[in-house]
Amino acid sequence: MSISVAQDRGRGQTGLLLVLLPVALVATLIIWPIVRAVMDTLIVTGPDGASLSFASYRFFFTDAHSMGNLRITIWTTAVSVSILMAIAIPIAIYLRFVTGRTAAVVQALAIFPLFVPSIILAYAFIRVLGPNGMVDLILGSFGLPRIRSPYLTPWGPVIGFVWDNLPLSVVILMAGLSNVTNNAVEAARDVGAGKFAILFHIILPRIWLSILVATSFVVLGLFSAFTFPYLLGPAAPEMMGPFMLRTFGDVMDPVQARTQAVITFLICAVFGWFYVRSIAKNRARREAA
Amino acid sequence: MRTSEPFRPDWIGLALVVTLSIVIIGPMLVVGLWAFAEQWRYPSLLPQQWGLRFWHQTLARPDVWTALRTSLQLSFVVTLISAAICLPAAYAFARMKFWGRDMFFLSFLSIQAFPRFGLLITIATIFLSLGLVGTFWGVAIIQLVNTLMFMIWIPTAAFQAIDRKLEEAARDVGAGPIRVFWSVTLPQALPAIVAAIMLTFVGTFYETEGAWLIGAPHVRTMPILMISFINNQLVIQLGAVLSVLLWVPSFIFLLAARRYLGPQGLGRGLGG
Repeated sequence: MSISVAQDRGRGQTGLLLVLLPVALVATLIIWPIVRAVMDTLIVTGPDGASLSFASYRFFFTDAHSMGNLRITIWTTAVSVSILMAIAIPIAIYLRFVTGRTAAVVQALAIFPLFVPSIILAYAFIRVLGPNGMVDLILGSFGLPRIRSPYLTPWGPVIGFVWDNLPLSVVILMAGLSNVTNNAVEAARDVGAGKFAILFHIILPRIWLSILVATSFVVLGLFSAFTFPYLLGPAAPEMMGPFMLRTFGDVMDPVQARTQAVITFLICAVFGWFYVRSIAKNRARREAA
Repeated sequence: MRTSEPFRPDWIGLALVVTLSIVIIGPMLVVGLWAFAEQWRYPSLLPQQWGLRFWHQTLARPDVWTALRTSLQLSFVVTLISAAICLPAAYAFARMKFWGRDMFFLSFLSIQAFPRFGLLITIATIFLSLGLVGTFWGVAIIQLVNTLMFMIWIPTAAFQAIDRKLEEAARDVGAGPIRVFWSVTLPQALPAIVAAIMLTFVGTFYETEGAWLIGAPHVRTMPILMISFINNQLVIQLGAVLSVLLWVPSFIFLLAARRYLGPQGLGRGLGG
């Protein structure tokens, strides 16, 4: 054995030792609780030993209250993602093709919500769109009737989510748009392509992956959202976040709370897998470069 | 959407600036108004009376100070532990070869792959049997989990980006490995490490779900106090004053992010 191999092995052990603690934390605080949650919700220990049982899942899917909460979560997610993309994609495209002082201001404004904690936004929402809020005051000063406030309706969390997720969606889409070269756009324009042709044939095909990444990011966030649905949404049906908290804390039913958690994992599995895969790929690409 | 005509006014941009200003900055200004309004009755467009009365009232409340102290303690403890265990690991991931390196590195992504609240629930049920629910350390551990990915990924990228030639040059003139690390490697990676530490600190300060789930009812952080102010609708202004106070750490983060992480870098880090 040469000296360098021995040194290498020594370094190898040091490396393993250095990463041991954080890796152990991931194993005990992420992997283990998930495995336990899946096992404990599926295995029921009776008088004659442990047996497989889907009872807690059957309860969830036959319980009208639980299903109502799942449905409102899916509805909120679908509506929020659609509105968010309808706003974020045009802004990102604008920022990709326009430079100058106005564009810089637009970028700063679109990124700004990133630096506003969601709890402050929830408060601001109530003061602006809640009963007797700023919008009512402004409408009132023109002699117009008050709005039907979205506060404590399913639209409350939707507005909060769109506001809160705008920056990261724009940022992810802009990263994707950097793959669209000026040459490609100019070449298309030279052969007479209109704005919409450029959008549908040049831009969208190159950023649909980024759109999916942004969507996955938002979906994962909405299925675990707590602050907005708790403060801005209706009490019933409630989204999965507050529902899980209540099942765990007030109803004190950890088995059902875990069942709900595992169900959100399963629903989000595709998005989670896709999101993680694209981060890993990006990293590999940057390392290769 | 044309780049080649600088003298044409950017109408789309101006429309975006106006709309985004109203929708994004507007609500924050309303909060600012409320914080300094001593009296603001419907339907007046602006407060009838301005002043700092509610600042005194907020700052005189013992629960505000307790929550602030708890939040700061948690943020310091979590950031410190996170840095102590993650930074050496980041160096190892960037520079050393060992068994399972790539697999371990990617394992930190598992935190991002699941809806976080469900994850917290599964951890909380285990903490329940360990007696960690309602304790400071229970909250600290659950918040530590949130910090792992950024605290490892950002510094790892920084250690990888360091120019090895400088280190070799230092070694050629006789510097030992520790000297090289302190004088050459660390200073180059420092901006990213500082950014990761600030992200962790501010992220922990505002962390709400884990603190609520594990901490309630004994451990009350600032965001949780804020939620109770909003829900109980005590005095509207208290929430406004607290919002302005709470925004300060966020503002520090804003400055740090502007310096160290461009929007593009942030987007790539998020998988764009």
